[in-house]
Amino acid sequence: MTPSYNFAFLDEDTKRMLRRALLKAVAIPGYQVPFGSREMPLPYGWGTGGIQVTAALLGPDDVLKVIDQGADDTTNAVNIRRFFARVAGVATTEHTADATLIQTRHRIPETSLREDQILVFQVPEPEPLRTLEPREAETRTLHALADYGLMHVKLYEDIAQYGHIATSYDYPVLVDGRFLTSPSPIPKFDNPKMDHSPALMLFGAGREKRLYAIPPYTRVESLAFEDHPFEIQRWEHRCELCGSGESYLDEVVVDDRGTRMFVCSDTDFCGQRRAEAQA
Amino acid sequence: MLAAFANPVFDSQRTFRELLQAMARPASPRALPILPPSPAPIAPAAMAILLTLCDATTSVWLQQPQREAVEHLRFHAGLRLVEQPQDADFALITDAASMPPLTSFARGDMRYPDRSASLIVQVAGFRSEGGAHFAGPGIRETESLAIDGLPWDFWQQRAALAVQLPLGIDLYFVAAQHVVALPRTTRLLES
Repeated sequence: MTPSYNFAFLDEDTKRMLRRALLKAVAIPGYQVPFGSREMPLPYGWGTGGIQVTAALLGPDDVLKVIDQGADDTTNAVNIRRFFARVAGVATTEHTADATLIQTRHRIPETSLREDQILVFQVPEPEPLRTLEPREAETRTLHALADYGLMHVKLYEDIAQYGHIATSYDYPVLVDGRFLTSPSPIPKFDNPKMDHSPALMLFGAGREKRLYAIPPYTRVESLAFEDHPFEIQRWEHRCELCGSGESYLDEVVVDDRGTRMFVCSDTDFCGQRRAEAQA
Repeated sequence: MLAAFANPVFDSQRTFRELLQAMARPASPRALPILPPSPAPIAPAAMAILLTLCDATTSVWLQQPQREAVEHLRFHAGLRLVEQPQDADFALITDAASMPPLTSFARGDMRYPDRSASLIVQVAGFRSEGGAHFAGPGIRETESLAIDGLPWDFWQQRAALAVQLPLGIDLYFVAAQHVVALPRTTRLLES
């Protein structure tokens, strides 16, 4: 632990500001609360929003897990885990079940979460309507009026062009029947895990200076049409390492001749299944 | 003068985590881990919330601004006290029976519903039996709780605000070492 910093890097005034914003975010599920995002010792786009949320939550008794696209051993995950081990001295883990706090970039772990765990998402663009309406004043008004016709038109245009809804990640959800919300760029495969999740889910967008929350046991619907219901991805393959047919798979090129293999994106889930198979 | 948190960084962190879980799981009492010394009429649990969340950037309205309490809060939290309830980010209700109507507090702006008041209400106690039933985000099915010592028309006042959602007021009730949060989205079910 580096003693020259305050615990968990941020100063106490900043943590209080984040904590007030987080409580309002939980009180208004899916609504984006503006906050004073601070400069962090890594650039925007590397999870500064998630890091600030984690810093506001973290205590000495926490056990932190960080994943990037499901993996514990990629650059972003390793760096953030080391960062908090240095500035807060907290215990870290790669096992989903052992963690009290999980910061994630673009996945929800395959292992079901518990009520005593908190999931923190890194969010690049918190506004689901941004690609359809660039003006913040206008999107605020659309949220105030719960006018989400634009998003339905976008999904409809997918159907008109491709015959199905082609949006496969960052698939918009309606939280508690009120606020249209970005689930962050998780694959739509993970969307059903958000509905009535036992764990609290917090979202931080550092560059966009917004945070929001989905409380536990809250209705989270993925937008769809009656004749084009919401569907998640399915694979013809199973994971080549653990044999799972239920997890989200990554397609990996393994040599110079273009040989491919499909493996679990969640490295902890895959590793545990292999360990169990060996035992 | 009384002391505040013995260990400000970790005491406020632990208090915040309980408040966050209280807000995420409404109508379910949680024990606050640290109760700092507090001058009358402020209860130690209410003081723990104020010290955890308030500073020079928040405006606070006190129902009973007695001198010792005011000096204590100004010294330890540096918070800004306001005269009018509608200007408050946080309001501390120390005598729930004579609290002002909920409509006197800020309920936010349609574009910014977070610019609304959070009320800390000191009450006589919580009972799980014979209580009202609550439902809403954060509650698995229903949660049953009775809150003692509120004005007789409190629940009518709160129900009247529900039509303005997502505008509203978020409540923290404290009794002894326990806190119960009721965000604006929690509904009181007809029994």
